[in-house]
Amino acid sequence: MPHWIAWLTAPLIFAGAAQLAMITLAGTASLWAVITAVLVINTRHVMYSAALAPTFRHQPRWMRWVGPFFMVDQVFALGALQTHRSPADFRRYYMTAALTLYAVWNVVVPLGMLVGPVVPDSWRLDFAPPVMFAGLTLFAINRVPAAIAALVGGFVSLAAVGLQDRLGIVVGAVTGVAVAAVAEQILDRRHSVARPPDAGS
Amino acid sequence: MSTTAALIALACGAVGTYFARSGLILLLADRSLPASVERALQNVGPAVLAALTINLAVGDDGLGGMEFAEAAALVAAGAVAVWRRNLIWTFVAGMATLWILSALT
Repeated sequence: MPHWIAWLTAPLIFAGAAQLAMITLAGTASLWAVITAVLVINTRHVMYSAALAPTFRHQPRWMRWVGPFFMVDQVFALGALQTHRSPADFRRYYMTAALTLYAVWNVVVPLGMLVGPVVPDSWRLDFAPPVMFAGLTLFAINRVPAAIAALVGGFVSLAAVGLQDRLGIVVGAVTGVAVAAVAEQILDRRHSVARPPDAGS
Repeated sequence: MSTTAALIALACGAVGTYFARSGLILLLADRSLPASVERALQNVGPAVLAALTINLAVGDDGLGGMEFAEAAALVAAGAVAVWRRNLIWTFVAGMATLWILSALT
C-alpha cells in the first residue's frame, strides 16, 4: 500500500485498530478481506451510535451529521459520562474532546510513520488504553444493571477473546446489555412487589 | 495491493466506519423509543467499555498471556477510579503500578 494512502487512513477512517488492520493486511489479503476486517473491527461503533442516539436527538442537525464522525472509543467513553448536561453543554464538551483527539491523532500517526518507533517498548504505552478504559468503565457504572452489564460484558469478552477482528468485544457487549435488561426487569418486578402502589400514600 | 485497490479499501472503510458511527443517531433522530429500550441503552456504555478493556488487556493470547504486573495495574487503576473518580489519577496509578512491578519482576 502506498505510504500516502496509509497516512490518509488517519484523517478519513480515524480508528486505530481498523487502520492498523488495513495497513497490515493490505500486503497479504484480498481487497474484500481488508474491507471486511475494517468493518467488523468497527462494528462496536454501531453500539456507540445506539447508546448516544437519545442524547444526539436533542442536538441540531449539523451536530447529528458531524459529531458521529469523531466517535472513537475515547470520545464515546467521555461523551457517555456527560449525557446529563444540557444539549449546548454536551455539544461543547463532546466537540472539544473530539477535535482535540482528532488533531493529536493526525499529528502523531504521520509522525510515527516518519520517525518510526522512538518510544521504547519498556515504557509500556501499549498498556495505557486498557488502564484508561478500566477507569472509564467504572465511572460509567451508576446503577446495579450497569454493573451487571459491565461484569457480564467483561467475562464474555474474555471467553470470546480468540474471535477474529476483535469480535469478542461486540459479543461481550451485546450479551452484557441483554443480561442487564433481564436483570432490570427482575429488579423492577421485585421493587413493585415490595412496594405496592398505595404504599407511599 | 495496487493503488486503485488500496483507494477502494480506504473509501469503503471510511464510509462504512462513518455510517457505523452515525447510522442509529441519524435513524433515531426524530423517533422516540420505548422506555425499556432507552433504559437498556444506558447499559451499552458500561458493557462495551468493560469488554473493550478486557480485550485490550489480555490480547489474543487470553489470560495465560497476561503478566502479573498488568493484572496488578488494572486492579490499582480500578481501585483509584472508584476512590478518586478522577481519570488522571486512575491513569497514573495504573501505569505507575505497571512500571514498578515490571521493574521488580
